Amino acid sequence: MEVTTLAAASAFLAAVVRMATPIALAGLGETISEKSGVINIGVEAIMLSGAFFSFIGVFTTGSILIGLLCGMAGGVAVSMVHALLSIRCKADQTISGLALNFLFLGLTSFLFLMEFGKSTTLPSIPVIRAMRIPILSRIPLIGEALFHQDPFVYTMLALVLILWILFYKTEWGVILHAVGENPRSADTVGIRVNRVRYLACAANGVLGGLGGTYLAMVKLGFFMENLTSGKGYIALVAVILGRRNPVGVLCAALVIGAAEALQIRLQTMGTAIPSQAFTMLPYLVTIVVLFFSIGKRNDPSALGVPYERDKR
Amino acid sequence: MSLLEMKNITKTFFGKCANQGVNLTVGHSEIHALLGENGAGKTTLMNILYGIYQADGGEVFLDREPILITSPKVAIAHRIGMVHQHFTLVPTLTVSENITLGLKSPGYPFVNRRFLDDKIRTLSQRYGLEVDPTALVSTLSVGQQQRVEIMKLLYREAELLILDEPTAVLTPQEVQSFFTVLRRLRSEGHSVIIITHHIEEVLAITDCVTVLRNGCNAGDVETSRTSKEELSMLMIGRKLQREQRQAFVCPQNRTGLVVTDVALKDGRMGPVSLSIGPGKIFGIAGVDGNGQKELAELILGIRKSQGGSVSLDDVSLDQLCIQKRKDLGIGYISDDRLADSLVIDMGLMENMLLKLHSKKSVKRYGLLDWKALQVHTEQAVQEYQIKTSSLSCPVRLLSGGNQQKLILAREMEGNPRLVVACQPTRGLDIGASEAVHKILLALRSEGCSVLLISADLEEILELSDDIAVMHGGSIMDVIPNRDVDLTYVGLLMAGAKPRGEL
Amino acid sequence: MKMSVQVFVSFLLTAAVVLAVSFLLILMVGSSIPLSVTSFMRGIVGSWYAFSEVLVRATPLILAGLGVSVGFRTGFLNIGAEGQLYMGAIAITALGVYAPNLPAPFMILLAIVLGFLAGGLWSVIPGILKARFGLSEVINTIMLNYIAINLVGILVRTLLKDPSYPYPMSPMLPASASLFPLLPPTRLHAGILIALATAGGIHSLMFHTSAGFRMRAVGVNKRASLCAGISVTRNIVLSSLISGGLAGVAGVCEVAGLHHRLIEGISPSYGYLAIIVALLGGNRPLRIVFSAIGIAALQVGSMSMQRGAGVPTSIASIIMGLLVVMILARKQLFRCKGV
Repeated sequence: MEVTTLAAASAFLAAVVRMATPIALAGLGETISEKSGVINIGVEAIMLSGAFFSFIGVFTTGSILIGLLCGMAGGVAVSMVHALLSIRCKADQTISGLALNFLFLGLTSFLFLMEFGKSTTLPSIPVIRAMRIPILSRIPLIGEALFHQDPFVYTMLALVLILWILFYKTEWGVILHAVGENPRSADTVGIRVNRVRYLACAANGVLGGLGGTYLAMVKLGFFMENLTSGKGYIALVAVILGRRNPVGVLCAALVIGAAEALQIRLQTMGTAIPSQAFTMLPYLVTIVVLFFSIGKRNDPSALGVPYERDKR
Repeated sequence: MSLLEMKNITKTFFGKCANQGVNLTVGHSEIHALLGENGAGKTTLMNILYGIYQADGGEVFLDREPILITSPKVAIAHRIGMVHQHFTLVPTLTVSENITLGLKSPGYPFVNRRFLDDKIRTLSQRYGLEVDPTALVSTLSVGQQQRVEIMKLLYREAELLILDEPTAVLTPQEVQSFFTVLRRLRSEGHSVIIITHHIEEVLAITDCVTVLRNGCNAGDVETSRTSKEELSMLMIGRKLQREQRQAFVCPQNRTGLVVTDVALKDGRMGPVSLSIGPGKIFGIAGVDGNGQKELAELILGIRKSQGGSVSLDDVSLDQLCIQKRKDLGIGYISDDRLADSLVIDMGLMENMLLKLHSKKSVKRYGLLDWKALQVHTEQAVQEYQIKTSSLSCPVRLLSGGNQQKLILAREMEGNPRLVVACQPTRGLDIGASEAVHKILLALRSEGCSVLLISADLEEILELSDDIAVMHGGSIMDVIPNRDVDLTYVGLLMAGAKPRGEL
Repeated sequence: MKMSVQVFVSFLLTAAVVLAVSFLLILMVGSSIPLSVTSFMRGIVGSWYAFSEVLVRATPLILAGLGVSVGFRTGFLNIGAEGQLYMGAIAITALGVYAPNLPAPFMILLAIVLGFLAGGLWSVIPGILKARFGLSEVINTIMLNYIAINLVGILVRTLLKDPSYPYPMSPMLPASASLFPLLPPTRLHAGILIALATAGGIHSLMFHTSAGFRMRAVGVNKRASLCAGISVTRNIVLSSLISGGLAGVAGVCEVAGLHHRLIEGISPSYGYLAIIVALLGGNRPLRIVFSAIGIAALQVGSMSMQRGAGVPTSIASIIMGLLVVMILARKQLFRCKGV
């Protein structure tokens, strides 16, 4: 009995990590962007674009590498449009993000129907398999979760570490922080505020695109309209819950992933309660946890504010 | 050979000329003052030198070489550094992180914080600037933050330092330490340009003075060869007129403002007690940031007091919200008009509404009566001579002086019994300042109580009947104007014990 | 509205770019431009029925758009109009199912009030969180959207389910809980009248009352409003209440005028479209009526274009997103000073 419970728990944790991965990837990207002062509500569009273009890439060439590159490029395309609107045109960043969500939802759907609208079968691509790391994956409980996953999960975990080092142990991290907190200070020591912000947005596009690519190339193996259905917005929540700290964002993504995995488990167990009650679970959890962040806000002071040097 | 030469600098902003053919020469190991009133063009000139703005015309020479400074990065590369009036430190970073911000230290991009901290300590000892590299900037006092700003420049090997109004936020004692630092800098081979409008300081510490007036050169003198009167003449173009204060005011049967033991919950301010009778101006002197604004906000109701009481003509204000206090006849002139007193994207009429929105006089059948409001606003514009192109012109486009006049017009509405004026002439030119002073004195002769808070000692001395000094959140002492002794006031401002307590 | 030639030209160029992209997309999908354009036009003005469909779609957009604009004016970014709309729909359905015998005019009026309160409640929660605790309303309202949508899913399978059908939907609502049709056999119902009246009412509120001024002042400068004695907290909460309330009324009108029962998916993203409507209408009630009709026309026309010329309806999303992006970028792209 104990062995099966351990196995079930281990499988559950592995599922949690898998659910958390796309959210963590997108969340890490958005963290970089927000630390620099640019908030992007259009993470949904980034992920959708990444999913679509990576799917097309793999479908047409059969190469995983091309798929990855296309996915990242798709994400960057969205985030750079947002960057131009937010930085160059000084537009309201929330409106810009929403507009991009509409635009890319329509665009990916349109292009997909254009290519595959006539076919009767759902076009699919081979799913990337999990890779088992010897010895480590035999660790009870967490071994499966951390060391028997697909490469995206490993990349995500590595990125958490890399970004943590970047933010807190390098000068780049200090610069990023300064640009988002007090861009004028950064400007007066010769830092190119807008250049840092553009780079941050590009990073957001790459990582968010990877998040979307994960959905298409690992989780589902196909593309359909509105594939992401809200995951981008959930990534935004992970950023806030995680206080824009890479480790925090990972933890938040894991909590959300757990809620999602729980929902699926409960659904398959079959109860009289409608499945929507479980679909609601992650959103309820996030609102409850948001309650706990009352009083502990530490948004970068210049978040959402375009930088103007000549402002008198 | 001079270190710096700026020749024939011209800069225009939106049709307004900030610098017109300005010349500046600074030698090596020299402390040079750039003197002028608000709006004379001093900060603009230095911003051009530092690369924040680009001049429309003219040239800059460093050690006889012509240079083109297109950004602060270029200025820093030419060993020119600037400390702005509003500090450019990131509060959530440490001193060390702020000083080394953006620099490529050994091991870049990785950072050996301990190594850098030691380097900073060595440098600070050399110049006598005491800073703790590991402290978070948000925990530092203003004087300490200023030292960090100067360290930032020295760390980058700046040879020429530009300081914008450096003593505006220091106590008289801190100013003395600051002068010592300047002398040390000079002896170590640096040159310093100080932007200021304080003639006393210019005479105390500088070697040379360049005076600007209305965007042009007004004079270039050696400090040892000039006098207060000459500098003041150059700066203003005429002699300072001391406003004649009326000796008597008809006494009224009102108690006026009585403040007893008010304090802020976190202990930053209080307990403070004071009272202002009708027809009196009570001036609170003190360096900005010693609790004055908090006291003003407590009286208005913008902040809540922990204990104590405030009453106006024997009516307790403690339980009343801001709106009700204002309805009792309190007007508020904030020190930060753009943030606190104006909705700058709206027109003059709507800004008047900020005070009138609940009054019956602008309503008809429950809806706003725009015609009545228009009449109201036109009256205000005429009476206070506010220059504007139209009543619906966004207030953002008015000059500082006209904005302040609009605020005064609005707050004076309805014959207030108490006016709290915080730095009412900050950022205004001489003409606008005089207009404001006239209005405050007029209020006094009408029997209004005026609480005047100002970091400008001259203004306090000119207008107040009683002078109080605030330091560290408390009132150190209250002196009637005729008994005032400037040295004593300066000591109080720095926190020395009042006479009665020694 | 005075406008310089340069600004006018930039607006024209914006429209031209959007049109050009649309035509490009039409060609890419293998359709012809003339056929698509005629299908589109037929879909919106080809017959009285077509035009009535536009107005039917515009009704919830006007109401929700007004709601969003009231929030915007106070600085409250209401992204939750979708969820608030559903809450309004839930409210009228609950009333119709549990109190079906209320007399006619009273029933529908009560439904509107309850819908307003339900939508308002849904919006006031993030409003209070923002006003009192400074929490960003953007994320909160989005989360509440998903909760509301799922709540509908739960209710139509349980408490509000029609027992005589196996499908998840509520029973038909009594006739007293419906808005009378204006132009049979079209689907146009009295909701459009409510929407237009509300536009006038909101205009008066925002620009001709002290309450409206206070909300606008808070939106422009919180700190100055506070110092002037205006309660920032109260006004943000009030604004969020009205904002959500109007979206709730939109939900009521959809159920009462169109569907007459509660089912999942009664809103094809009206709540999010309302944000674009408000933006294009410059947050002015009278202009919002026109932008709502415009967006509705785009939706209806694109469906007709799909039927008649085989162009996928997602082109409407592209056009809207592109339009907003172009408007945001207009000043930079076409080098306009000032406006």
